[in-house]
Amino acid sequence: MSKKFRSMVAVTILALALGVTGCGTQSSEPTTPSATPAAGGGEIIIGLPLPMTGSEATYGKDMENAIKMAVDEINGKGGVNGKNIVTVTGDDACDPQQATAAANKLVSQGVVAIVGGYCSGATIPTLTVYNEKNIPFVITAANSSKIAAQNPGNTFEINGTAVHQTQKAIELFKKLGAKNVAIVEQGDAYSSDLAKQTEDSWKAAGNTVVSHDVTNKGEQDFSSLVTSLKSKNADVVFWTAYYADGALLIKQLRQGGYKGAIVVGDGSSDPKLIEMAGAAGEGTYVLSPPVADYLPTAKQFAEAYKAKFNQSAGAYAPLAYDGMNLMADALKRAGSTDGKATIKALSDTKDFVGLAGKINFAADKTLKESNFIVLQITGGQFVLQ
Amino acid sequence: MTVFYIVIQQIVNGLILGSFYSLIALGYSMVYGIIKLLNFAHGDIYMVGAFVGYGALGILGSRLGIGWLGIAAALLISMFLVGLLGMLVHRLAYQPLINKRAPRMSLLITAVGVSFTLFNGVMVLTNGEYKTFNTGLGYEGISLGLVNITYTQIIMVVATGILMLTLYWFINRTLYGKAMRAIALDQDACRLMGINVTKTIGLTFFVGSALAAAAGVMAGVYYGSIQFYMGFVIGLKAFTAAVIGGIGSIPGAMIGGLILGLLETAGTQLPFIGSAWKDVFSFGILILLLVFKPTGILGKSEIERM
Repeated sequence: MSKKFRSMVAVTILALALGVTGCGTQSSEPTTPSATPAAGGGEIIIGLPLPMTGSEATYGKDMENAIKMAVDEINGKGGVNGKNIVTVTGDDACDPQQATAAANKLVSQGVVAIVGGYCSGATIPTLTVYNEKNIPFVITAANSSKIAAQNPGNTFEINGTAVHQTQKAIELFKKLGAKNVAIVEQGDAYSSDLAKQTEDSWKAAGNTVVSHDVTNKGEQDFSSLVTSLKSKNADVVFWTAYYADGALLIKQLRQGGYKGAIVVGDGSSDPKLIEMAGAAGEGTYVLSPPVADYLPTAKQFAEAYKAKFNQSAGAYAPLAYDGMNLMADALKRAGSTDGKATIKALSDTKDFVGLAGKINFAADKTLKESNFIVLQITGGQFVLQ
Repeated sequence: MTVFYIVIQQIVNGLILGSFYSLIALGYSMVYGIIKLLNFAHGDIYMVGAFVGYGALGILGSRLGIGWLGIAAALLISMFLVGLLGMLVHRLAYQPLINKRAPRMSLLITAVGVSFTLFNGVMVLTNGEYKTFNTGLGYEGISLGLVNITYTQIIMVVATGILMLTLYWFINRTLYGKAMRAIALDQDACRLMGINVTKTIGLTFFVGSALAAAAGVMAGVYYGSIQFYMGFVIGLKAFTAAVIGGIGSIPGAMIGGLILGLLETAGTQLPFIGSAWKDVFSFGILILLLVFKPTGILGKSEIERM
């Protein structure tokens, strides 16, 4: 009896534990916020493929917040073509397989447009899923050059791509008077792409790349890498991946006595980098997309975001906000939710004014003008260079 | 930097990394030794240990400070609480299966289930966020020529050494340790001799989990930040370390961890090829090692375990 009872208790507790976990993940499953239809009736469903779970979940949530702010404002002004916008979030978990499944689900839910996309690796395989149904996609964060190369025609990038970022990085290395650049990446589509392009451009400019290292995601110890970089007399270390592991690398570089400059790519441009790297982070250069805090145009947005979500808008929030507004604008100009018409309207975008400046598209549907900025950690804050 | 200093510095790096692997490998090895279970939840126990230590330091920090005193207190609290968690997992998830003499595969899958439960549970509780360990530790240390060793690193290695020696003493010199070793040999005979087998297995889980928790807190302090998936990669590597050393053998787990740490470090500095190849290098050597010595360095095919 008692044994049976005990195993029943065990099963119940396990079930409860699983239930709790289930609820937790459920909240990040696609949700359809209820919205009252505008006067014209009907809704425009826009899908948001974003990482809501996993290591990049904070970015995904931040972008979702910003997009929903834009949606609320658009709906508050009467919606688009007399219809309210409704968003559906699909969790791609920054994972190519889950992203494809999430994309198919969004399509089956009847989305007419897509705004979002954070991890390049997870975003690339979804492009064709949407393109088959002529669904326009405005990518607001992912920026691997592979996206433009594999763009089936429906995709528009409003974040500067690796090309734009590489130019800025090379500019910065020259300004720092660097000779021996060491590049460290994580082997994923985004970070290795930026690393390779930077290596090629730096070499093409007649300079030296002393090493190009790849670390494993989730590994915490970089001490042997630090010793190796020091032994190669690197005077700039360029980290092209995300902030969490970047902070560990910065810390261990300084701990190991490395004295040169540290530059990190836009995946690391997050206030958390400062918090996690602590004192070691001082002086680190950060390539960044236009961050709300440094854009005079985004001041109002930053305040509204903070008031609404009780935290500062993250690095990709302004572009996510711009992306939704751009999509709404294109839908208006197209005059319908017809995919082909909307894609055409997006191509024809001329001087659309967003928080991050004017948006015009080049022939490959990426930004015509780079919008990257260089920040430096000074006194525990990002300071515009 | 001359080659000599690079080699010395890399050996230091490898030993520090290896001592983390060793501490976690011990838990894998002890549990396997006593009930033949590959406890895949062990890496997540390490992760929970880091979070409990983080919470404890947050609460104690105001009273004891965030220096070594506060850290030591947080370490002990985390070891105790996570040890209890290990016992709880054993009681709720594993022991019922053992009682029913379930196939070993079911136990293994249960361990995977426990791993996912802990992993996702912490993810939900922490919103998937990174937590930064706020400690008052600096980068001061000693320099031998061009080799830098910080005081933090020295204390980590010393603490690991103390924990391992204590464990060795516990297993070989106490009655409880004797009971564990006896159960590893023959459970039924132990039952006939009046040893409380279930409780002793629970104690093994307590000790193994407490060691993983210690490693978790130390990793948090040393690396500075923790997150819910920190146990995954290191769990796999510690498991590897346990197998190299000879799973079931306690000195084997210690040696296996250090060897893996050194191999990985060596892989980073290989001439001509980049550090991207370090895992290919270190795990390639491990495969070779197991080909020639399938039971691991100190493992014996079917004789005494633990």
